[in-house]
Amino acid sequence: MKIEALYPELCNLFGDAMNVEYLHRAVPEAEFVKTSLKEDPAFINGDVDIVYLGSMTESGQSIASKILLSYRDRINELIESGTVFLVTGNALELFGTRIENEDGTFIETLGLFDLYARRQMMRRYSSIYLGTFGEMEIVGFKSQFAHNYDDKEGNVPPLFQTRRGAGRKPGQKEEGVRIKNFFATNLLGPLLPMNPPFTHYLLSLMGLEKRELPYEKEAMTAYEARLKEFKDPKTGAEY
Amino acid sequence: MEKLRFFIALWGCKTLRAFMRLLGRNATYLPGVFALRICPSFLKHIGKPARAIAVTGTNGKTTVANLLTDALEKHGKSVLNNSYGSNTAAGLACVLLANASLVAGHAKKDIAILEIDERSAMHIFPYIDFELVVLTNLFRDSIMRNAHPEYIAGILSANIPPGVKLLLNADDLISCSVSPVNPRTYFGIERMESDVVECINLINDFQVCPKCQSEIVYEYRRYHHIGRAHCPNCDFKSPDYDYSGHVDKEHGTIKITEKTGSREIKLPGDSVFNIYNALTAFAALREIGLSQDEAATTLTDAVIPDSRYNETKVGEVRIVMHMGKERNALACSRAFEYVASKPGKKELILMMNGLGDAKVWSENICWLYDCDFEFLNNEDITRIVSTGPRALDYCLRLRFAGVPAEKLRYSEHELESPKELAMEPDSSVYIFYGTDSLALGYRVRDAAKKEAGIKYGTSEVSRV
Repeated sequence: MKIEALYPELCNLFGDAMNVEYLHRAVPEAEFVKTSLKEDPAFINGDVDIVYLGSMTESGQSIASKILLSYRDRINELIESGTVFLVTGNALELFGTRIENEDGTFIETLGLFDLYARRQMMRRYSSIYLGTFGEMEIVGFKSQFAHNYDDKEGNVPPLFQTRRGAGRKPGQKEEGVRIKNFFATNLLGPLLPMNPPFTHYLLSLMGLEKRELPYEKEAMTAYEARLKEFKDPKTGAEY
Repeated sequence: MEKLRFFIALWGCKTLRAFMRLLGRNATYLPGVFALRICPSFLKHIGKPARAIAVTGTNGKTTVANLLTDALEKHGKSVLNNSYGSNTAAGLACVLLANASLVAGHAKKDIAILEIDERSAMHIFPYIDFELVVLTNLFRDSIMRNAHPEYIAGILSANIPPGVKLLLNADDLISCSVSPVNPRTYFGIERMESDVVECINLINDFQVCPKCQSEIVYEYRRYHHIGRAHCPNCDFKSPDYDYSGHVDKEHGTIKITEKTGSREIKLPGDSVFNIYNALTAFAALREIGLSQDEAATTLTDAVIPDSRYNETKVGEVRIVMHMGKERNALACSRAFEYVASKPGKKELILMMNGLGDAKVWSENICWLYDCDFEFLNNEDITRIVSTGPRALDYCLRLRFAGVPAEKLRYSEHELESPKELAMEPDSSVYIFYGTDSLALGYRVRDAAKKEAGIKYGTSEVSRV
């Protein structure tokens, strides 16, 4: 079993890196590969069970995007064949069609689905997030310069359905992207430690249905308390 | 029309300020808010002292601005500063308003030392002619407000006018990237005994060469991205020091060397942050024209009040309050490392909750996973009590950091948390609070003192 974290020297903002660390601790027998910018990703030549990419700076997006473009076909092939991808924060934007800047320029991205991101660098959007993944409830946080917009309305399957906070853009229920086992969300930070049921679901895709999570008791206690807090209408949604 | 708006703002807000002060209010912010609403270019028109110095950065700007103010006053100058007010555009408008003459709005002081919130740069730098911008450092701060330090560096670069001279920390490559074509001078601290090479912190924000994207190599590193580094594949490297500090911790001094010679000054404490603050102040004083002797003399005996730290002893237990700063992974990491390095058995109360957020929203806790809670997995730390709105998040994060479950305690309410402590003889209790929880922190300290008093049968409290 192999877990690959892409570009840890860039993707280290907002505690996102702890998601892949949590997975690794849950599956200590897995080989854990950290691929730097100057290395070829492990997914090029062999099977990887989970590929992870997390939040980065805007200049980091330009660098990572340029590199990933050369692996576009292989990434597409892996997604189609059911490899698990977990993508958090603004890393999601690297898989859409483009990232637009306020001055009209844009960054070319992988174009694997018809969403584009539009940055507003002086209007950072921050909110709590409450949503669902099937029957499962999801909690998290958003803090971002860009929202995601549909190039063609309604043809990109979402990851979560939103109850509180913004979806791909404010007012939209659909949040993130799910294509087969490709899971991408704008939620940032420790998504997996904060959502033990969702972490169990990801592990089940690796054939580990009954695997106990590290610190599961503490994680579940915090998850249930946060659910209660986020469902309380007195808790404001947008900062 | 703009001038008319300015005079309406000047006279109206001076009256408002006087009225607020009659009511016993500080009036260090609101009159400035109204002044800017009435006249958005108020900062352009209000009279400023002939010379103005800006001090900005993530950490240390208040301390450096205060050191500069004290030193210049000792040197006989009348100094305008915003130490009692806000460091945003409204705060600056307020302080300039207070010091302007009523009729024409002319400034009454010789020089302004203005602390500036780095996020407010676009509302301030275009309107005030600074002769020097002192940038202490750029680190991660609030995820929601400041995003990441590269973003803040971009805001400063976009708003500091061309030609304004910068004084920069050469040990901080993020600061060094600000306004690359502006004239600049650098300060830095030479290798210290405690420096490392590999990063031991979770936050490590300068890993990639901005020119060729190769992995940067650190020659030495103080913490996080602070140190000296170079790219092994191109000519990118840390700049040379114009003001080079050599720290002698044993004798409590720093020798500062520049082209024209060296001077030694007493260290203002043992924290590296404050050593940087003293060096920054020395370099700034030199840049604005004081001689080496004048800069060294005016900084001698400078006291940096450590509002982040105080300690008392009750019975056989030391009770220490230590600022952790909510939502700030870096400040808490530094505090955790400092406390973990102190000798003796310790118990901790973690209560650096964002109480302001808790009133309206729910604090964004992502920063906990950027923060080095791993320093608290230490055999001398025998018990950790998590309390307040984010206590359950602290418990999970502490388990993540490797702290055994049997060392953890949970207390929903802060004032009850000292009851969870063992308070063994010769041990210390550290209370980590933030700016939001400062007042509550004092009440928790008093509750801890009461518990210690009961345990040791004494009400005697001694300040350590």
